[in-house]
Order: sequence, then C-alpha cells, then structure tokens
Amino acid sequence: MLHRRLYQFLIIYLSGIALLMVIKYSLNLSDYVIPGPGEVWQTARQFLPVYFLAVINTLSVAILGHILSICLATLVGVIGRLTIWVGSFIRVAAYNIQAYPIVAVAPIIFILLGDGLSSRLLIAAMICYFPLLLSFIGIFSEPISEIEHFFESTLRMNWRLQVKIRAFENINKLITVIVGSATLAMVGTIVAEFIAADAGIGYSIRIALFQSDLAKILVALFLIGICTSLYLVLLEWIGHMIQRRWEVPKGG
Amino acid sequence: MPPILRKQEYFIVTILLFMIFFGSSVSVLAQEKEEVAYRLKWLFNASVVGDLWADVSGNFAKNGLDVKVKAGGPERDAIKELELGRAQFGVASADQVIRAVSKGSPLVVLAQLFQTNPLHWIYRPDRSPFSNPGDLKGRVIGITYGGNDETIMRALLAKYSLNENDLNLYSVRYDYTPFYQGKVEFWPLYINAQAPIIGAKLKKAGEKYSFVNPADFGIQFVANSVVTSRNMLESRPDTVSRFMTALLQGWREALDPANTERAIKTILQFNDQTPEAIVRQQLPATRKLMLPTSDFAFGKIDVAAWKQTEEIMLSQKLIPAPVNVEKLLNPAGH
Repeated sequence: MLHRRLYQFLIIYLSGIALLMVIKYSLNLSDYVIPGPGEVWQTARQFLPVYFLAVINTLSVAILGHILSICLATLVGVIGRLTIWVGSFIRVAAYNIQAYPIVAVAPIIFILLGDGLSSRLLIAAMICYFPLLLSFIGIFSEPISEIEHFFESTLRMNWRLQVKIRAFENINKLITVIVGSATLAMVGTIVAEFIAADAGIGYSIRIALFQSDLAKILVALFLIGICTSLYLVLLEWIGHMIQRRWEVPKGG
Repeated sequence: MPPILRKQEYFIVTILLFMIFFGSSVSVLAQEKEEVAYRLKWLFNASVVGDLWADVSGNFAKNGLDVKVKAGGPERDAIKELELGRAQFGVASADQVIRAVSKGSPLVVLAQLFQTNPLHWIYRPDRSPFSNPGDLKGRVIGITYGGNDETIMRALLAKYSLNENDLNLYSVRYDYTPFYQGKVEFWPLYINAQAPIIGAKLKKAGEKYSFVNPADFGIQFVANSVVTSRNMLESRPDTVSRFMTALLQGWREALDPANTERAIKTILQFNDQTPEAIVRQQLPATRKLMLPTSDFAFGKIDVAAWKQTEEIMLSQKLIPAPVNVEKLLNPAGH
C-alpha cells in the first residue's frame, strides 16, 4: 500500500516537472519564469531539511485539525440524524455554512484568535469538517430498516444502538470519507498558513512567492506530496484494521 | 416591365451599402491600431493613475496603439507575462527586475515611476518616539518576510549597525490589528495608498501618527518601473517609442494639479471600491513620490538608486552575483 502510494505520487510529480521543463525549453523561458533542473536540485539540497521540518509542522496541525473535525462531524451528524426540528436545523445550517469561502471567513478568525496555532487548527478543521459533516449526516440519517426494525419491535432500540448499527453498516463509506477529507485537512492548514501564520510550509510557500522562487515551491510541493501520501496510507491502514476487526463477528 | 427597384428601395440599398462601407472602414482603422498588453504591478488605484489616464484620454490611441491595461496583484508578475508573450509592457519593482535579470530574463527598464519608494513605516510618536534608526532599538518592527520591506528594513539596520537581536521583528499580514492594538510599534505600509486609510482610523481614535521614510536615512531602494523585453525593444522599437510617448504624456497630464478632478474621476471609473475622500488624499501623495519638484522630468531613471538597490540585494544574498544594472536602464534613451 505504502510503496504503491509513493510511486504513484512520484509518477505524477515527475510528470509535472517534465511538463514544466518541456514548456521552459520549448518557449526558451528564463530561470525566473521556470527554474532549470540544476536550480531545482540546488534548492532542494539547500532547503530540503528546513522545508521538511515545515511540512512536519503543517502535517501535525493538519492531523489535529482532522481529528477535531471528525469528532465534531460525528457529534453534529448524530444530532443531525434526528427528525425533530433540531436535526433539520443542523442539516440546513451545515449546508448553508459550507457555502462560505474560507478566505472570506479567515480574516475574522485571525482577528479573533491571532495568527498562531489556534487559527491554523480551526481553519484546517473547517475546511475538512463540512464535507465530513454532510457525509456523516447522510449516513446517520439513513435507517437500516431490516436491522433497526428488530430492535424497535422488541423495544430495545436506543440512540447509541441506532448510531452503532448505522456506522457498522456504512463503515466502508465512513472510512472512505475520512481518508478523502485528510487531504482537505492538509490543504486547509496550508491555506491558513499562507494567509496568516508564521510557521509551516504554507508560510514558506508565501515567502517563496514573494521572491518569485518557483524552485522553492517545487521542493515544497514534493515534500507536501510525500507527507500527505504517508498520512493517507496510515489512515487507510487504520481503516483496514477497523474493518477487519468488525468483519470477524459479522462473518461469524 | 416594372423597375426592379423602386425609388425608396434604391435609397435603402444606398444607405445599407454606405453603412457596410463605413463600418468596414472603421474596422480597418481599428485594425490599424497596434494591439499591445500592459500588465500593471498592482490593482487599479492612485498609483496607476497615469496608466489609466493614457488609456481613457486617448493618448495610446493617438499614438496608433490599442493598449489593454491589465490590473496587477499579488499573484501577477508582469515580468513572467512579458516572457510568456501575454504582455508587451509591464510594471515591476526594481528588486523583481534585478532578481529576474540575475536568472537570465532578458529585460530592459524604460522609465522609473516612483522617485521615492512609497514603502514607509507608520508609528505613534508619543508611544515610540523616532528621530533616527538608532531609536528602533528594543522596538517591535513589522516586516513582511520575503517582501521588499524586509530587504529595506534589513538594509536600514545594516547601515546603522543595528543587529537583528537589538530589536524584535514581527511577521506582518494584511490585517493591521497588531498595530492598532499596539503589539507592533512600526508597521510597513504604502504612504500613497494605505496611509490615508490607516491615518483616518487613528485620527478617529484620537491617536497621533507619523512615518519613517527609509530614503531620509540614505536607503534608496527603487520601486515601480516600466519594463519590456529586450526582444521587444530591438524588434519593435517604433512601438516601444510610441508607447512610451503616450504613457509619459498620460502620466504628466494625470499628475498635473490642474487636472486633479479628471484624474480622480479616472481612478474612480476603474475603482469604485475606494471612497472618493481617500482617493483625494492618495493622489497628491502619489504625485509627491513621482514628481519631487514641479519641474521634474517624469519617468527619469535614478541610476545611483538602481545601483544601490543592486548592492543591497547582493549584500543580503538575494542575488548570487552582480547584474550590472546600469546596462538595463533605458538603453534606447526613451
């Protein structure tokens, strides 16, 4: 799983670099517009350790933000599954709030929380939270009639059991959504750092953009891709373990 | 046999033929105007009033040019557009030009727009008195890491033998809250663009404010200039000449105090987001930076300032080797 993810990423990354080089040499562009392979290599040698630490910093915030948003989406999804007005209100509110672009909301967050860890965490969580929430509400609102009917007719149904049944029956969907939203958490953190932070790879990209240094950005993209791939593999592995644990009693 | 066309029909046909002929003549005339694109450094505001004036007042058209003036912005780089052929002329800051040339970009500078860099630092004189850079010791100074304000501030500190440990550098963003809250004592801004807006807010809060101009302490770091590619200058010298004639004339007219009302109207025509009262303050501030004296030749290139800019960039290792900047400066003598 790990090596497949990594070589898939490397194929995409190297194809992108190759395309840039084709454009550079066919249009005879200077290193200012697109850096040559030598400059990218030199930049990588010089900045790889610094950028690696920055990406690890970003990834740690992204993971925290991701966990936060999963917890929040589960909580709100469980409440949102209710057919009473609270559930309906939460569903409508979730659809409406996700329509706001984060770049418009971000300045308000930075004014309130400053440009430290809390702002980055909140923005990362917000960017991956809404897709998670919408899926979770959908999954937890969908009755599994053939199973739930038994517990309802024997008057043994309670909200915990209902949530468990729905989560158990949709475990594949839940894992897919959680893995898919991991990249959004990473993107969210980078966006937050780009807009206002003084750490992380998004901040480094911003500085590189100010200096019109595409070589640095290519190095940053490489590290972001590698680290995100590793995180996705980790999540897939956790998902696989959960599925295996849950499938044993299901089969037996 | 009845006539094929009646009198009225003859008249309509004649009118139609005339319209077709006239229309095609107009389109031929329009086609005769040479199309070029001009990418600015920043959004439409008082800093680009002359560029907009040259467009709307017909200066470009009178010189046989159909110029598409395109707004700039943080992610737009005129130099890259010149190389990619998306623009023929552009506005770039001196540090951008020097950095690009050091990476092999074939550029030439045609005119220097700002004679004094508009980048200043705002501060509250009652809380953080300032008379010379030595007063920055122990203060919290805002800089944009990677931006040219960082380069300018570091040059100022180096000139006055101040170490980074002597003060606290604070990473700034678009949000001025840390300055309003007093967390940051010196905040970078463009004196002709943001200063009237921030100043108005401070005034409303009953606070005094003043500005640090690095040029007053010997730091000449050139700001925006008009650039084109060397290929454009060599292959289409007449186009370059006509463009510069129209542009410089547009700037002179727009900055003429007699044309203030029309200049403000021109800015507001392209930028309806900035209140007129602010534009009224931005325009004279821009004029002062571009025309230090009333008889100053607009667009003059300050070679010494360019050389100092190059030296600063070299000393801060922003470029690996000298680019001999004087060779880029108006080689055709426009």
